[in-house]
Amino acid sequence: MDFFLLGELAINGALVGLMYALVAAGITLIYKTSGLANLAQGAIAMMGAYLTWAVASGLGAPMALAVVLALVMMFVVGLLIERLALRRMAGQPVIMAIMLTLGLEIMLRGLLPGVFGSAVKRLDVGIPQAPVFAGEFLINRATLYGGVISAVVIIISMLIFNSRFGVFMRAVSDDQTASWSVGIRVERAIAVAWGLAAVTATVAGILWGSNQGVDWSLSLLLIKALAIAILGGLDSIPGVLVAGLIVGVAESLATGIFDPIVGGGTRDVVASVIILLTLLIKPHGLFGREHIERV
Amino acid sequence: MFYRRAGIRHTTYRSERQLWPLPFDRTLVALIFALLVVAPLLVGDLYLAGYLLPWVIWSTAALGLNFLMGGAGQIHLGYGAVMAIGAYTSVHLVRAGTPLEIAMIGGGLASAAIGIVFGAAALRVKGLYLAMATLAMQYIVDFVISHVPAISGGTQATIQVPPVRFLGVPVVGNAATYYMALAVGTIVTLFMLNIKRTSLGRALAAVREKDYAAEVIGVGTLRYKLLAFWISSFIGGVVGAVLAVCYLRSVSPDQFHIELSIQLVAMVIVGGLGSILGSFFGAALILFAPIVFNNIIGGLSDALALPISTDLRAHVPLVLYGALIIGFLLWEPLGLAKIYANVRDYFLVWPFRHARR
Amino acid sequence: MTLNRRDFVAGAAALAAAAALPLGRALAQDKVIRFGMLHDFTRVYTFVTAEYSQGQRDYLSLVNERGGINGYKLVAEVSDHGNDVPRAIETYERLKQQGAVLIDPLSTPVARALVPRAMQDQINMLTTLSGRSDAADGSVFPYVMPLSPNYWTQAGILIDFFRQQDKDLKGKKIVVVHIDTPFGREPLPIFQALGQKLGYELQTFPYTPPGNDQAAIWPQVRRARPDWVVFWGAGVGQTVALSEAIRNGVRMDRVASSVWLSESDMEVVGKNETKGVLKFEACAGGREPKLIQDILKDVVGKGKGAGPEAKVGTSYYNIGVMMGAILAEGVRVAFQKNANGPITGPWLNEGLRAITNFTAEGLMPGMTSTKTDHQGGGRGRVVRWDGAKFVPVTDWFSANQDLVWDEIRKSSAEFKASGK
Repeated sequence: MDFFLLGELAINGALVGLMYALVAAGITLIYKTSGLANLAQGAIAMMGAYLTWAVASGLGAPMALAVVLALVMMFVVGLLIERLALRRMAGQPVIMAIMLTLGLEIMLRGLLPGVFGSAVKRLDVGIPQAPVFAGEFLINRATLYGGVISAVVIIISMLIFNSRFGVFMRAVSDDQTASWSVGIRVERAIAVAWGLAAVTATVAGILWGSNQGVDWSLSLLLIKALAIAILGGLDSIPGVLVAGLIVGVAESLATGIFDPIVGGGTRDVVASVIILLTLLIKPHGLFGREHIERV
Repeated sequence: MFYRRAGIRHTTYRSERQLWPLPFDRTLVALIFALLVVAPLLVGDLYLAGYLLPWVIWSTAALGLNFLMGGAGQIHLGYGAVMAIGAYTSVHLVRAGTPLEIAMIGGGLASAAIGIVFGAAALRVKGLYLAMATLAMQYIVDFVISHVPAISGGTQATIQVPPVRFLGVPVVGNAATYYMALAVGTIVTLFMLNIKRTSLGRALAAVREKDYAAEVIGVGTLRYKLLAFWISSFIGGVVGAVLAVCYLRSVSPDQFHIELSIQLVAMVIVGGLGSILGSFFGAALILFAPIVFNNIIGGLSDALALPISTDLRAHVPLVLYGALIIGFLLWEPLGLAKIYANVRDYFLVWPFRHARR
Repeated sequence: MTLNRRDFVAGAAALAAAAALPLGRALAQDKVIRFGMLHDFTRVYTFVTAEYSQGQRDYLSLVNERGGINGYKLVAEVSDHGNDVPRAIETYERLKQQGAVLIDPLSTPVARALVPRAMQDQINMLTTLSGRSDAADGSVFPYVMPLSPNYWTQAGILIDFFRQQDKDLKGKKIVVVHIDTPFGREPLPIFQALGQKLGYELQTFPYTPPGNDQAAIWPQVRRARPDWVVFWGAGVGQTVALSEAIRNGVRMDRVASSVWLSESDMEVVGKNETKGVLKFEACAGGREPKLIQDILKDVVGKGKGAGPEAKVGTSYYNIGVMMGAILAEGVRVAFQKNANGPITGPWLNEGLRAITNFTAEGLMPGMTSTKTDHQGGGRGRVVRWDGAKFVPVTDWFSANQDLVWDEIRKSSAEFKASGK
């Protein structure tokens, strides 16, 4: 057992896991307020990355401005999605709303590469490529920056949830009717939740886009994000942080330990196995709240 | 005027409980079935192999999934994996020498056995969580199939289907494969049409509506949920075998990926949960929408000489397909079957439009 | 009861859609040779299809500008199958109905799925640099035409280049980072066989498709301290592989790739950071070759280009031109053999199997195809990225073909035994 290799893998894995957790944070945000799993989260991240690239390369704006513009635009996009699409699904069974987000994902996956071109695009946010050495361990600088930024954004969203507005959102996720009756504007809380989820997805999209280039495969972030969201508990944002670390480390170690034995490809299976085990053993995740079904 | 209801008197319970009490309905169904049977003589190869055959196969798969989703109320995002298991099992059995009929049943049984494992998840969780569990299983089955060379076959990872005979007729060429798929589809449709009139169908409906209430009145949810998964997976396995033998003629792991599962769920939902006719309509729409859009866009851009880049042209069908799903869910959640039902209701009383059905 | 507007619209749309099913376009009976170019523009092969198709169509436009071949124009029917087999089969049937004599799926899974149909319907299937590697055996696959070096040949040539550089590979360590799909695993038997023959140690690291997360792979590669690294992926897997390699401190001049690496990939990763990366090349890149110059002058210059001018001369564009040129040569040879023959699949097949020493005016190494060798000789060269373009470091050569053909024959015999 090469402990240095495992240590390196664990550190890098934890950082990558944090980057996935950023997407999962958006999913959790939406689940907390609307009660549905947003399967279009990966596609929204991809859209954020494409918009940033379009503003930066197409209009020639400096990257910082492009990032800010993209974040603002995506916030509005999140609001629009909730307003136009989700509001009509209010009384329907949840599977319908989930299929709606799936349809949205398919549409975005066709629209964005179609409009902007399907070749891989370069998104340069100025992260240098040289590795960082911590003793014997080589840490990937891009994932280091990415992981740290993701952790910061997740912590910011946790803080928002503890603020006054966050209390509104928590009330809405608890009981919509009761929230209405005390005067909380439920529609606005849900809309803002979608906007914030779109913003976090955009940050994740920009980080991943600078890592690997912007193209349709950014929408595949969804699967890992779902695994993390379910493991952490679909309605718990701190859970997302912890679950992100666990899933990231598990995946990296699996790639290091099991791939030579099995012949490769264990990375994705780890996420699926984690989902399965979580659902069979503790369906509501590590930090999730039990959902009591009223008769 | 079309659906004559005057003069229909039932004198026995049996005639009252017919599937299609109106003679117009019966004639319509018989006509369509007759058309499907003589299709190879009427239409060319393109329509047969390009449209009818996949439509029949995918409708049968949608029927199997609809049994589970619409009949028993369980979400299943892993139906592609179930079909894959059936396809691979039957192809391996056929290559080992078993006759095709037995291999198809064998494929169905293997799918059912593993489908029950999927179903075990349904006993613990519901709704969204069940969807995630079945999604996870889809990936795991994918992984197992593509990483065990004994299953996936050699370096080329594609297993050819050897020439086979179905009920004595060699399954070669467009007509024979079409008839085999049609036969299997007819049997599954008959099964689905009648299931609602049996105690099994009623038990599943009880479980679908409120499973703990069903438990209270004595309908064992454990038993019926597992049974629903077993039956649905059996159908899925048999359809997978038909897909491999008749349509694809070779199996490789990337043909049964998550896209197929999502496609089937979309077919069921767009068609209408629980509706048999809806499965056929949904299959037709989801299967042909990208193709039709492709043709329309191609024709438009040629006719109007629009300078659309090939990239955009190629992506527009995907956009329209996604928009179609969203549109249906927003404006007609009960699916195409409801739209058909509305149209039928209109013609039921036509031309006396003032009458209310 | 009244029919509300929604249902009426839905019913009307259903009728319109039914009418939109292809009822066979009115085919002009004048002199055309139809090629069915059904590619994957939207799903997996997005990185290569647009430029490849542009190059192919530009070349065919060039031929048509010059009057076609024997008065016949070459027409490319382009459509998208999205790597989905049902759509591919529908498009194939439609093209067959329209009289296509050759199809070019540019997708390994679709090519594999269409092999039985193409062989039965006697329609030529072009599998450029992909598809079934064992289709080079023309005796088992009469209608499947790679007409380009397959993956086994590419692997053999890369290893031979390493051997040329290091004089002797005995005791060295070669690492192969590949995508975990049949395409990625395909060259492994050749790498293993050559490892036994030449004495190097082989280590493989598969990554899950599509390869956008390889953060756990490259630390292991670094620890393995390889002498040479081969990365075998496509699209985003290639760019991420290079980025991760740079971030893990792997030397760029000891890294090599299959043919699927392009200038836009290098641009995404960073033109300067990737200086020194090697790749296999099947035809010359850039705008210097005469054919590309002709296209710039006669086709793109007159505004008849099939895509943006900036893409003319990229690696994938030139591959498209190369395949277009091979098709045109095949048609020419078919006319030589059978000047009046009706334009059918078998007629074109005769031509495609009898091309001799075709170099496309200097664009590619001489290619010769025979009834038994559909690969065309398996020659290519290795090029290196210098920060702005790919520069050749060897001449056109062929290597390890004996081993490759062993593998081809073994695999095609399997197909012959089990398939039809």
